[in-house]
Amino acid sequence: MTERSSLQTVSKYFRELSVAAVLVVLLLVLAVAAPAFFDAQPLFSRLARDTPTLVAACGMTLVILCRQIDISIGSQFAVCGVCAGALAAGKEPAFVVCVAPLLIGAALGAFNGALVAGLRLPSIVVTLATMVMAREGLRWTQQGVFINLPDGLQWFGLAQRSGQCALIVFALLLLAAMAWAMKNLSAGRFIYAAGSDAEAARLAGLRPRLTTFLVFVLMGALTGLAALMNLVQSPQVDPKSGTGIELKAIAAAVVGGVAVSGGRGRLWGVFAGVLLLACVNPALTYLHVEAYWEKAIQGAIILLAVVADGLRSRKAREAS
Amino acid sequence: MKQSFLLVLFLSLALGSGCQKQSDSSGGKKLTIALMPKSKGNAYFISCKAGADEAVKEMGADLIFDGPTDPDPAKQNEIVENWITLGVDVIAVACENKEGISTALKKARAKGIKVVTFDSDANSDARDFFVNQATPEGIAQTLMDEAARLTNEEGEFAIITASLTAANMNEWRKHIEARLREKYPKMKLVDTKPCDDLKDKAQTEATNLLSANPNLKLIMAICSPAVPGAAEAVKQAGKTGTVKVIGLGLPSENRKYVHEGVTQSVILWKTTDLGYLTIKVAADVTGGKLKSGDTTYHAGRLGDLEVKGDSIILGKPFIFNNENIDQFDF
Amino acid sequence: MSSPLKHWQAGLFRHETILLAVLLAEWLYFDSVGRRFGTLDNTFDILRHSSEIGLLALVMTPIMLTGGIDLSVGSLLGLCAILFGKLWRDAHFSPALAGVCTLGIGAMAGGLNAALITRLRLPPLIVTLGTYSLFRGLAEAITHGVDTFTDFPPSFLALGQERRGGLPTQAWIFFAAAIGIWLLVHRTVFGRSFRAIGYAPEGAHYAGLPVERRLAMAYVLAGVVAALAAIIYTARLGQAKADAGTGYELFAITAVVLGGTSIFGGAGSVHGTLLGVATIAVLSNGLVHTRQPREVAGMLTGALLLFALASGEVSKWLAKFRAHGHAAHPTPPLSAPDSP
Repeated sequence: MTERSSLQTVSKYFRELSVAAVLVVLLLVLAVAAPAFFDAQPLFSRLARDTPTLVAACGMTLVILCRQIDISIGSQFAVCGVCAGALAAGKEPAFVVCVAPLLIGAALGAFNGALVAGLRLPSIVVTLATMVMAREGLRWTQQGVFINLPDGLQWFGLAQRSGQCALIVFALLLLAAMAWAMKNLSAGRFIYAAGSDAEAARLAGLRPRLTTFLVFVLMGALTGLAALMNLVQSPQVDPKSGTGIELKAIAAAVVGGVAVSGGRGRLWGVFAGVLLLACVNPALTYLHVEAYWEKAIQGAIILLAVVADGLRSRKAREAS
Repeated sequence: MKQSFLLVLFLSLALGSGCQKQSDSSGGKKLTIALMPKSKGNAYFISCKAGADEAVKEMGADLIFDGPTDPDPAKQNEIVENWITLGVDVIAVACENKEGISTALKKARAKGIKVVTFDSDANSDARDFFVNQATPEGIAQTLMDEAARLTNEEGEFAIITASLTAANMNEWRKHIEARLREKYPKMKLVDTKPCDDLKDKAQTEATNLLSANPNLKLIMAICSPAVPGAAEAVKQAGKTGTVKVIGLGLPSENRKYVHEGVTQSVILWKTTDLGYLTIKVAADVTGGKLKSGDTTYHAGRLGDLEVKGDSIILGKPFIFNNENIDQFDF
Repeated sequence: MSSPLKHWQAGLFRHETILLAVLLAEWLYFDSVGRRFGTLDNTFDILRHSSEIGLLALVMTPIMLTGGIDLSVGSLLGLCAILFGKLWRDAHFSPALAGVCTLGIGAMAGGLNAALITRLRLPPLIVTLGTYSLFRGLAEAITHGVDTFTDFPPSFLALGQERRGGLPTQAWIFFAAAIGIWLLVHRTVFGRSFRAIGYAPEGAHYAGLPVERRLAMAYVLAGVVAALAAIIYTARLGQAKADAGTGYELFAITAVVLGGTSIFGGAGSVHGTLLGVATIAVLSNGLVHTRQPREVAGMLTGALLLFALASGEVSKWLAKFRAHGHAAHPTPPLSAPDSP
C-alpha cells in the first residue's frame, strides 16, 4: 500500500522532482569542481539578488495558469523602481517609498487586466503594447540617469547579512503563502478553473473574467514588490533594471512545469525552476566556461523541459 | 469597393507628392546639425549633449538629436538615411558598428552632407573628421596602466564589459590585452563577463567573479553602469581595498564609492567638452573653417587643439579619483 | 439567411479599411508637416528600412492564422546572418552559394520549431521562446560575441544598397515575397487550410486536412524567409553581427496584429499585414522628419496596437448586435478561447 502511494506521489510531482534532481546534480558538480560556489557571502548575495525574480515568477505562474501571459513586467519593474527611487530621493517617508511601487505596479497591472479580461483582447499583444509604451515613456522622462538613494534605505536600514536574510525569508514566506492559498483557498481554485476551461467556470458561476483581471492586478503588485526588493540592495536605481525579468519569470515557470495551455502547474515547481535557471550563469563563472554560452544553455534548458513535457504527454496519449 | 478606392487614392497621393518634391536645396539659413549618440537613454551621451547644446546656442544653429532606443545594429543606419533625405547640413555620430555605419555615412557624403564622428569612429573614408576624446589605444592603455599601478604590476584581474557584441568595447579589450601581453607579463586576465549595460547584472557578475577567483586583485569595468555595480559587489563582499575597482564611468555615478575607497579611479574625459567640440567641428567643417591638412584647430572656449591627420584630439583620458572627483558634476 | 461568416468577414473588412485610412492620415500629416517626407527618396528609404521586418511579418501571418506564433524569427535572422558571413569568409563560398546554404539552414531551424510543435504537440509560444534564446545563443557562441563579418563584394552589397529598375533592389524581393505569400494564403487550398486550422483545429483534422504537415510547412517557411531577410539585412548594413535582428519578432507580431489577424487564429489577411507594416514604418519615419524623439514612435505604436485591437473587438460586437437585430439564428460566440 505504501509502495503504491509513494510511486503515485513521485508520478504526481514528477516534474518538480525532476527539476530538483537536475538542480541537485548541478550543485554536486559545483561542489566538486568549484566549492567556492557555496561560500557564505556570495551565496547569500546571489540568493538575495534572485528574490525579485522569484516574486515575479510567482505572479507570472498565476497569470499563465489563467491561460494568459504578461511580457510587460520588465517595464513595470523599471517604472516602479524609478518612482520609488524618486520618492526616496525626494525624502518621502519610508512607508510611502515602500507602498508606492506596489500601488503603481497594481495600477499598471489593472490596465493590462482591464484590456485582457474586460475587452477580451489577447494578453500577449496587450502586454506587448504596454511593455513598449511603459519602456519608451520611462526612457523619455528619465533619460538613463541613475537615481542616488539616501543612506539608510539600503537593506531597509538593517545590516547587510540581516537584510539579505530578511529578503530571502520574506520571499520564501510569500512563496509558501501563495502555494498554500492556491491549494486551499477557493480563490486559488478559481484561478485553476479559469485557466483550464473558462466557459465551464463561467457556467459554474465562478466569474473567470474577474479572476483574470485580479490576477493581472496581483502580477503588477508583485512586480512592484520585486522592484522594491531590488531597490534596497544597492544605493542607486538604474532605470534599465528589470530588463529581461519577464523572460526569466516565464522560463522559470515553464521549466517548473506550469502548462502554457493553462490550468496546470505548481508554485513549488516554479521555485525549483527559478533556482535552476539562476544557477546557470554563476555556474559558468565558477566553472570558468566562456560567457558567450549563457544564452544558448538557457535556451537549451527551456527546450529540454518543454520536450520532456511533450514526450510525457505523447506517451500518455498513446497509452490511452 | 471602398477598399480599392482608398488604395488607389493613397497610391496616387504618394506618387504625386513624390513627383512634386524632388530633393533640392536645404532651405533655411540656419545651419542644421544632426547629432546621434550610440543610444538614447544613456547618461554619458546626455552629458555630451549638454555640451553640444552650449555650442549650438553660441552659434545660433539648429540641432537635431536622435538615436536608437533599441539595440538593433541597423537602427543607426536608418536614422542617418532619414537625415540624408531630410537634408541636414552635417551629421555627427558616435558609431555603434564601424563598418555598418560607414555604408550610410558614405552615402551622406556623396550627397554633399559633411560627416563628423565622435567617441567611436567609422571607417576613415566615411567621414571628414573624427573628434577623439582619446584613441582607443590611449583609453585602453590608460586603463591597463592604471590597473598595473594599483596592483603593483602583478596579480589576477577581470573585466566587465557591456555586451560581447559592443564594437568599441571589443576594440578596447583588444588593446587592453595587447598592452597586458606587452608590458605586464606578471598580470593575468582571468575572465571577461558581459553585464548587458545593466548595473544590477554587473553587481551579480562581480560577486561571482570575486568568489570564483579568490586571488582576484582588481576589477576593470569598461562599461559605465558596471563601475558602480562592481563597486557595490566589492563593498558587499567586504573586500574594499583588497580588490581594487577601476573603470570608465561618470563621476556622478561613482562619487560615493570613490570617497569610500571602494573605487580607486574612474577614467573618463569631460563629456560636455566632447559634445561642445563635436558641434564646433561639425559647424566649422561645413563652413570651411576646418579643412583636411590643418594641424591646429581653434575650438572656441577650449582653445587651440591638435589635429592629427583627420582626428581632433580632445586630450588624454582624465583620471577621476578621491582628490578631484568633487570638482565635476556630470 | 445571413450566415455568421458574412458578419465575421464584414468586421474584418472594416478593420483593413480603417487601417488604410489611418495610413493615409499619417501620410498626409507627415507630408504637410515634414519638409522632405513625401519625396521619392524618402519613400525608397521607408521601403529599404522595412524590407526585412516586412518579410518576417509576411511569413508570420500564415503562422498566426493557424493560431500559432513564432518568437524565434528575429534570433534566427541573427544566426543566419553570421552563418552567411562565416560561410562566405571562412569557407570561401561565393555570396550566392553562401546564400543558398543559409536558406537551407533557415529551413532546418524552422524545421526544429516545426518538429517540436507538430510531433510533440508543444505550444508554439514556449517552443519558440526556447529557440529564441537558443538561436541567439548559438549566434553569440559561434562568434564569441566579438566576431563580425564585413568587406563583402560590392556586387553583393548592391542587393541592399543600390537600386535596380528604379526601385531599391530588396524592394523587388519583398514585393515578390508579398505576392507569393498572398497567393499562397488567399488563393490556394493549401493556404486556406491555415485559416481552417486556426479556426478549429479538431474540425480541420476530422475534415481530413493533414494538419501537422501544413503547420510544419508554415514554420519551415518562416525559417527560410528569416534566412532571406538575414541576407538582405547583411547586404544593407554591409556587416553581419550576432545581435542582428534583435527585437524584430515583436515588430513583426505588431504589424500582423495591427493588420487585423487574430492572434487566436482563424481570421486575418496578408494584405492586412502589409498595411500594418506600412503603418508602422511610415509612423517611425515620419516622426524623424517631424523632429519627434524616437521614444514617441514606440509609444504611439503601442497605443495604435491597443486601439486597433480594441476597435476590432468593438466591430465584432457591432456585427453580433446587428445579427441579433435581424432576428436570424443566433451567431456562435465569436470570441475564441483565451490563449496566448
